[in-house]
Amino acid sequence: MMDRYTKLQMAGIYFCVAIFLIFMLLPFFEMFMASLRPLEHLFRSPYQFWSTDFSFDAYSKMWETVPLLGRYIFNSIFIAFSVTAITMVFVVPAAYAYARLKFPFKNASLAIFLGVNMFTGAVLLIPLYRVLRSMGLLNTYWAMIVPGVAFLIPTGIWLLRSYLEKIPLELEEAAFVDGASRMYTLRRVVLPLAVPGLIVVGVAVFIGAYAQQFLFAITFNQTRELQPLPAGLYEFIGYQSVTWNEMMAAALVGVLPVMVIFLFLQKYLVAGLTAGAVKE
Amino acid sequence: MATLDLNSISKSFGTAKVLHDISLAIEDKEFVVFVGPSGCGKSTLLRIIAGLEEATEGKILIGGNDVSDAHPVDRGISMVFQSYALYPHLSVYENIAFPLRVQKMEKGELDQRVKRAAEILQLTDKLDLKPGQLSGGQRQRVAIGRSIVRNPKVFLFDEPLSNLDAALRGDMRVELSQLHRDLDATMVYVTHDQVEAMTMADRIVVLNGGRVEQFGTPMELYHHPATKFVAGFIGQPNMNFIPSTVIDTANGLSVELKGGHKMVLPVDTTTVSKGDIVEVGVRPEDVTIGTTGVEVEVRVLERLGGASISYGSIGGDTRFCASLPGDVRVKEGGSVTLEIKPEDCHVFDANGYVLRRQAAPELVA
Ligand SMILES: Nc1ncnc2c1ncn2[C@@H]1O[C@H](COP(=O)(O)OP(=O)(O)O)[C@@H](O)[C@H]1O
Ligand SMILES: [Mg+2]
Repeated sequence: MMDRYTKLQMAGIYFCVAIFLIFMLLPFFEMFMASLRPLEHLFRSPYQFWSTDFSFDAYSKMWETVPLLGRYIFNSIFIAFSVTAITMVFVVPAAYAYARLKFPFKNASLAIFLGVNMFTGAVLLIPLYRVLRSMGLLNTYWAMIVPGVAFLIPTGIWLLRSYLEKIPLELEEAAFVDGASRMYTLRRVVLPLAVPGLIVVGVAVFIGAYAQQFLFAITFNQTRELQPLPAGLYEFIGYQSVTWNEMMAAALVGVLPVMVIFLFLQKYLVAGLTAGAVKE
Repeated sequence: MATLDLNSISKSFGTAKVLHDISLAIEDKEFVVFVGPSGCGKSTLLRIIAGLEEATEGKILIGGNDVSDAHPVDRGISMVFQSYALYPHLSVYENIAFPLRVQKMEKGELDQRVKRAAEILQLTDKLDLKPGQLSGGQRQRVAIGRSIVRNPKVFLFDEPLSNLDAALRGDMRVELSQLHRDLDATMVYVTHDQVEAMTMADRIVVLNGGRVEQFGTPMELYHHPATKFVAGFIGQPNMNFIPSTVIDTANGLSVELKGGHKMVLPVDTTTVSKGDIVEVGVRPEDVTIGTTGVEVEVRVLERLGGASISYGSIGGDTRFCASLPGDVRVKEGGSVTLEIKPEDCHVFDANGYVLRRQAAPELVA
């Protein structure tokens, strides 16, 4: 690895990475700055980067402005976790089947999965609404969980399938020769080896679930207590004024637990995304 | 009793036919090696015996019972894979115990069996390690351990030594032969290395292009190769083939070798006639430096100490390799006259089939 790049190339690489990171992180930084500003600052011109009356007041006042904020944050995480858990229950056996078994319409159905992914949830909102209504699921957690799971299964299958395909077939053949059933092999051999892949897919599904819940929440759920954070943030938009600083503070606090989890899993994410790239 | 009989096994992948009508009768406790060049169908045949692949046609009998549709465990086979196929997340102990765990064997007996296998394979102090912490030879032994705990009737090995370095391979050859004696089981061993085949096998199956070229003991194959392919494959360095013309077929086969040397060879002449083109096969170790014989131009001389291997040609384009005494006085770029005894010659007709030798050495057991 060492000395693979010249100093100049390294400088170039770091420069590009820096640009990219700034592009990605600037909105978060601005969110943070906005959350510190007193409200009247936000509309002041010219833009003032720093002033002495910055404070963390918004972080305490937001709980009063929107009393259910804690509940919203919990809902967000609860829904995303439920979606992830249920999705994985479906994705693991399906991805394994696509990776290893032969069955009719295998490639066709995989292509259809990908095709479904091309539709955004938005296109299907009205039919989905009718389905959920006839099943009596509107205004429950299920209204946000079920469509979430449905839209994430295809992505999950695609991601996990390619990971499972990299597990040497001979390991499974060895287990088969020794008398292990498919399920036993899956449990004792394949899944333990697929842990990095499962984490990558789990995280990807979680992100997906977190991102899409807003749309489902505002369409399929009217119950305040069940709203996730992105929908709950709407309550910072009052009749007279919008407390932007508190909204930004709430948004940051809401994503904080997720960020912490990601920091923990980062090692697996990197390992998972590069697995198979290096001969072991 | 675990005899292994293959009755007319054929295998096609889609339209590609990779095994053609293979019939073999392998005896109980025999060590049989399938040998042949890469892609000739050795692994496919082994996998069909294992039950990992289904034969397109034909039957497999183990101990006289038709097991063509049976599960590997019910066939009573176990298999050692080329890549070892160890489970990287399990300890050596759990790897060896795996087939017993599948059977839900009672703890005490399982422990006893795993420890016994570990003892045979000198892995007792490695039981807590993961496969990743072992050397190649040790991994190989774990893979063998996993295959013996189940007490199968037939062991199948697919190129088990090909991932090891040369020195270790030599040691493992000896260990495997020892293991075969200790376990007293039928073993089928696949390799592309004719040295492994010659040294370990009771009998060798030479495969080529999905067909059995010959099935016999190592010395049978060495002294009586049935085809030019077997003759060229068995023996190190490889046999030389000299294009020759038949002059007469009465009282042995009179031929004129390329380069003009004439010989009368003691072989069966019923299938050839005067004027036919045949190939005379001569093993490098069967030639001596002399005054009459074939004239060979020496290009390279490799001095190994005990022997010197000369690589050269007859008349520029027929390659000829000779194994000469270590201190032979031959110059690279020079030429040398090599004497060949008629009874050492093998003769192959235009289709590559041998003309049976009539004065070959007696076979040792
Ligand atoms: N699953 C398969 N599908 C299609 N062709 C195969 C398959 N397995 C093996 N073959 C073909 O069968 C032939 C024999 O393969 P193999 O038995 O692995 O040879 P060997 O072990 O002697 O090197 C090869 O030409 C190979 O390409
Ligand atoms: Mg092979």
